Parts: sequence; structure tokens; C-alpha cells
Amino acid sequence: MTQFERGQLQRIRLHVLPTKRFKTFAISLFAGLTLDEATVTPVALIPFVLRRGTANTPETIAFREKLDDLYGAGFGFDVYKRGDSQIVQFRMDVINDAFVSSNTSLLAASLQFLGDVVTDPLLENNKFRQKYVDAEKTTLKKRLEAIVNDKIRYAAERCLEEMCADEPYRLHPLGKLEQIDSITPEALYKHYEQWLENAALDLYVVGDTSLEEVTQLVTGAFKLIAGTPSSYSLPNVNQTVKEVKKVTERMDVSQGKLNMGLRTGVGYDDDAYPAVLMYNGILGGYPHSKLFLNVREKESLAYYAASRLDGHKGLCTIQSGIEFANYERAVAIIQEQLESMRQGNLSELELDQTKAMISNHLRELQDSAYEMIAYDFNSVLTGKQRSAQQLLEQVQAVTADDIVKVAQGVQLDTIYFLRDRKEA
Amino acid sequence: MQTLTYPNVQETLYREVLDNGLEVIVLPKEGFNKTYATFATKYGSVDNRFSVGNQPAAKVPDGIAHFLEHKMFEEPTGDIFAVFASQGASANAFTSFDRTVYLFSATEQINANLETLINFVQNPYFTDANVEKEKGIIEQEINMYRDNPDWRVYFGLIDALYHEHPVHIDIAGTVESIRQIDKETLYRCYETFYHPSNMLLFVVGGVEAEEVFKLVRDNQSRKSFEPQGPIGRYFENEPSSVKIARKVTELPVSLPKCMIGFKEKKTDLTGEALLRQEVTTKLMLEALIGPSSKLYQQLYENDLISDSFGHEFNSSTGYAFSVIGGDTPNPDELIAQIRSAVEDTLERGIEPTAFERSKRKKIGSYLRMLNSPEAIAGEFTRYRFRDSNMFDVLDYYESCTLEEINERLREHFDFGQLAVSIVESPAK
Repeated sequence: MTQFERGQLQRIRLHVLPTKRFKTFAISLFAGLTLDEATVTPVALIPFVLRRGTANTPETIAFREKLDDLYGAGFGFDVYKRGDSQIVQFRMDVINDAFVSSNTSLLAASLQFLGDVVTDPLLENNKFRQKYVDAEKTTLKKRLEAIVNDKIRYAAERCLEEMCADEPYRLHPLGKLEQIDSITPEALYKHYEQWLENAALDLYVVGDTSLEEVTQLVTGAFKLIAGTPSSYSLPNVNQTVKEVKKVTERMDVSQGKLNMGLRTGVGYDDDAYPAVLMYNGILGGYPHSKLFLNVREKESLAYYAASRLDGHKGLCTIQSGIEFANYERAVAIIQEQLESMRQGNLSELELDQTKAMISNHLRELQDSAYEMIAYDFNSVLTGKQRSAQQLLEQVQAVTADDIVKVAQGVQLDTIYFLRDRKEA
Repeated sequence: MQTLTYPNVQETLYREVLDNGLEVIVLPKEGFNKTYATFATKYGSVDNRFSVGNQPAAKVPDGIAHFLEHKMFEEPTGDIFAVFASQGASANAFTSFDRTVYLFSATEQINANLETLINFVQNPYFTDANVEKEKGIIEQEINMYRDNPDWRVYFGLIDALYHEHPVHIDIAGTVESIRQIDKETLYRCYETFYHPSNMLLFVVGGVEAEEVFKLVRDNQSRKSFEPQGPIGRYFENEPSSVKIARKVTELPVSLPKCMIGFKEKKTDLTGEALLRQEVTTKLMLEALIGPSSKLYQQLYENDLISDSFGHEFNSSTGYAFSVIGGDTPNPDELIAQIRSAVEDTLERGIEPTAFERSKRKKIGSYLRMLNSPEAIAGEFTRYRFRDSNMFDVLDYYESCTLEEINERLREHFDFGQLAVSIVESPAK
């Protein structure tokens, strides 16, 4: 398996994976800061404003045309949380010049584009352009307001918010609606400067290139700030649950959304991480898992019933869509599954199936440039060096006892139910 | 075995049609760990009235193709997901307007997984009890979509566009229609559409072509299929006009969702002509209303659209329509501004630079798509069932002229053919 080559340019860590397997170059820049109520909203707004124009290409339309000219280079960004960090990820993908008759290097042009976006934005009198800030404030507001439209996502996020009410993790990565209005172009620019100075910056490139080439291109393309790279801090994953929190929310919905939040006490850097992966897989990660079999196949209560692991924060969340009247029954069946995991009711077959599925996933991610980047970035986030191959071997070695040990440490924290407005 | 090479994209395809009519395509991808396989039948939600050979035509309940897809996963020995899991494969299936696709992706035990895929799809097992049990699950699936405003606005638009054509029927059917489904009807649909001559097996990834063909040939030679006459698919005559000019659905949303669509009058295209229409329409829409167009910037600056704004073109023999829209605070103003920009462009034509740019963009995204085994298998099958070839698409993008897209523009944007679908919060 080819390895990432590592380098460093001032505050940016460089990670380059030379490979001829893809028809594209995949580029990702991660910029991470600790989640903080005071900065979460302006930091979320920064990438929205940056994507409107740069010093070289101030007008948005010309900026977008540039991307089309690079054979429709993909450009986008995401703001999300990992552990207790808020991460802004910029993403570009551009086709390898070998497939088109281009007379400029598309990799060089793309890195120049990204460097301009992140380090050379359009400024007017030492602040962002008012018009862009205003428009993107509206866009950010709409994005936050739109969360409620997708009831499955809304319920999942509300469950986490309730569960982590006393932790930074309660914050939505896009910030708080009520903080948007007061952000001025001046204030945003100050936040931007601090963000560039303090954020942990990691630039990844996967494609037919080398660390030398990328180093040289980035030197020319980014206005680098002197200094050394920042690192991430690990979240606290050991919280004791005193009492299960129960929240019911009412809205005009046809189907009830049941979400349950569990604390595993195990983080990504923990030696028990492979066992917690297995725990989640057996509980609800797959169509052969306990939740799918018992809630859906046996009882016909739901179309979806699954669990998801947030390995960095040590949380496992369960989600299912059910008839309102089946709430008690569904909760009882799900709790039976949790109990059965604690009791060690784990068959050889469940173990084998889950190991095979996790291993398959770890092998498959080698076929996607972005998945390889995302996997490698886990070690940047946690300081834990564990290649996909090593994790695969560790998962294979997990025993039923290891999983029971994890199961006995898992605490149900919150039961959240989104239902209709009719009183029962 | 036939070898087809596409030097412009550096891909080689192997193809064979077996004696029983099954078409098999293999696309080896060097250096890939993963193998992705799809086993598809040309049978989707629109095929609700059909006959085989000289049989009289029969009408079946809405949502039955999708119901059948669910039921295929159950075998007398249990749930087939468990078998795939033991073999380290993640399996799934989906039903669309014109096809049902079963799939897996795996990095090991490829031969065993291929056998499992072929065997479970070729082994229906329906009982009165297991059919009844599935109704509860699918009812929850239907309710899940009912709560999803993006789904509702999209299907609301298709429902507004079409009077008779079954494309306007929800793929999963309704709670009422699925209650009418029984095992006899499921078997009837199965026997008709899951005959090998109506199916395509596509395998892409880290495989060796001859090995795959040998496995499939051996597998098929162990089974016998009666030769089947041609399948007849029957559709009511679809009036060329739209059914409802403006359809409003109430659902709690942060901002109204608005989609507009233009219904094509001419829908008898097949094969290459259908493909060419798709390519020129997509290029035209991209130049007119894509993210780098003047219109898009104008709408964004006027706060009429957000990042959710987009466009697509959906076509097949029998139906064809565009979909343009997203979240907007003011659907009427959005439609008015689109209309005035379109009328302006109808007079002046698409700008040559905008055309060249959208061409580059489309070529780029086509090439990017070839990184993804899932996308290749999906697109190849979609085009193949419409008698065209996904690997011709690049040539069509390259050879498309400004005159062609201007002609497409004039043909497509007929405001008499416009329908609007809006999802908005109930008035308080």
C-alpha cells in the first residue's frame, strides 16, 4: 500500500499520496479550531464569504467561471465537528491533464485557486466586501433554519444537542442563528485573521504528483503565515450518566423519529477502539445487526433502525422511524438489544459477519482518494498512528469478551422522540 | 466474449450475451481493491401494465416493482443480507422509474459474492406471511418519504406534469395500493421481468474478465429458463399538456421549496437520439442557469435562491422533462425572473463563451465520474436499458455545437408546457 509523504510549510502540514490510480487530483485543506460558543458562528461564516471572491478574482461570476475553465474543477467546503473541534474542510478535485488537451497544469492552477481562496481573499479597506458578507449571512441563516426540513437529520442533531447540553459538542458546526446578525465585515475579518493564525492546517493531495511538486506549488500559491503547525486536543469521552434524559418534541410529522444517544467511554485513540467498532457493528451498523433484525425484520416496526458511531467523541447513536403509537415498544426492543450485548449474547456468526463487513470497508476506502484522506486525517486529529491495515488486523483480533467489556461500559444517556402534535 | 476499448478514457470493456439472453459486462479496473457488481432488470415503477408473448395485458398495483425488490432479499434459508455479511460484502438494491438494481461491493470472496447475487435474484420466495409482514415495513418507508419536503416537491412536480403516464406514480406506491399486493401478483411480475433476457449483470473493479464470464456461464448453465416472448409494455395516451399548472403541498419548512419543470411534447425518441437530446439539454441548462451563469448570480444576489438551487433533465421513451429549482422565499418572483431571462436568451441565443465553459465542465465531471465504480455501473446500466452506450457520451459532449443547444433551448422552453410544484408551511 502506498503511503502518504509528509512535509511542512510554515503553519501548514502537507500530506501527499502519489498514485496513478485515479483520473483526478483530490485536494483537501482542513482548518480546525476548538469548538467555542464565542467563535463558532463567525468561523462557520468565513468559508461562505471566502467562496465569493479573491483579491485576484473579486467577482463571484468570474470566480465560478475559473472553475469551469479548469474542466469543471469541483470546489466545495464543509463545516463539521470532530471530537471537540470545529473543522472547515475545503475540497477540490480536478481531472488529470493527461485526459484533456490543456496547456496549463490543472494541479498547479487548482492549488493556486485554493491558495487564493484561503489566504488571499478580496478585501476592501481592510475588511471583507460588505455585500458578500451580507449575502452569506443570509445564506448561513437559511442553512441553519433549513435543518428542521429534514426530520431524520433534525432529530439526530436535536438528540446530540440534548445529550451534550453541558459540553461544547452541543454547538452546531454552523453556529448559532442569533449570533449571525451582529457580525460586521470588520469583525469577520478579525476572526479570519485569528483563524488563519490559530487553526490547525492540513493540506492533502492525492494523485499523480509528488511531495516535492506539491511543496513547490503550495509555496507559490499560498500566502503563508510564519509559524509552526497547531495541533488538536482530545475531547473528554468519560462522562458519567446520572439519569437517562427523555425528551419529546412535537411537530407536524407523519412518522415518529426515535433517537437514542449512548456514551461508550471509548475514543479513537483508545486501545478498545476496534472493540467499540465491533460493538456498533453488531448492534446496528448493518442489515445483519441486532437493531435491523429485531426492530425491522422481526417486528415490522420500522423501515430503518440503525446505530452510528462517532468515534472521536465516543458516542453511539441509534435512529429509527416508527409509528407514534409504537414508541414504548420500540424503546423496549432497543433496550433489550443493549442488554443482550451486555449479557454477552453474541454469536460466532455475528462476530464473523461484522468483522467481514468492517474489514471490507477498510479495504474499500483505499479505492477512494477522499476516503483515504479522511482516514489519514483521523491520526492528525488524535495523534494516534494506526493505519487502515493495522486497524483491520486489530478488528480481526477482537474477541466476544472485548465487546462485552465495551458493552458494560456503554451508558444510555438520552432518548429523544419527535412526534406529531396530537395528544395521545 | 467481445472486447470494446475506449482509448480516450483509457477503459476496456468485455461483453457477452449468454444463450439464455443474459447480458454480462465486465470492466476491470487495475489497482482497485473493490469489486462492485450490479444485477439489474429492466423493470421499474412505470411498468404497471404489461404482457408477454400473446398473453392479454395485465394491470398491477402501484409500487409492486419496489415491493418485489424488498421481497427478493428473503430466501427459504433466511435473510440474504446475512450471507453477504458472512462473505464481507455490503449489499443493497433500489427501484427507479425504469429499472430495479441489486448490488454488492466487496474486496474479498468475489466469486462467492457473485454467485450469491445471481442466485438470490434468480430465486424468488414469496409466502402469504412474508408478503404481509413486508407491508408494515414499506408503510414506514412511505411515511418516511411523506415527511421529506425535497422528495415531496420533486414528486409533486412530476405529478403536476403528467396526467396518465405512470412516471407520476410514487415509486413505492401508496399505503392503499401496497395493501392489494399478494404473492400471486408478485410471482407474475417476477416471471415476466426477471427473465435473463431482460437483465444485465455489470461487474467493475479488481476482477479478471474471463474468470467472471466463466463463473456466470457455469452458474447459468445449471439453471433452465423457458424461452420467453417479447415483453409488451402499455401506457395510456399522455396528453401533451401539463396536468396541473401549479401544485402546492403543505409541510412545515423553513422556506418554500419550489421546482419548475417543462414537459417535452415529443417523447418518441429512442437510443442515440434520446442520448443526444439528454446531452444537449444538460449542456443548455448548465450554460443558461448553472452556478457560473449570469442568471444564477442574479437570482442569488436577489436572494431568490440558495446553494440548494439546481437543475436536471429526466428523459426516457415516453416522458421527458426538466426540473429547475430549490429553496426560495418567493416562488412567484423566482419564476418571473427565470422566465424573463429565458425569454431574453431565446432572442439572443446562448453566449458562445458560456457554452464552451459548460462543455468543459460537463466533460470534466464525466471524467471524474469514471473514478467511481458505483457511478460507472449505475450510468452504464441506465444508458444500456435505453439502447445507448455510456461511453459515447463523451463524444457527444465534445461534438455538440452552439447551434444545437440554441435549437434545444427554443424547443424546450415552451411556457405553455410549464408546471410548478411548491412545498410550503401551512398558513398559521
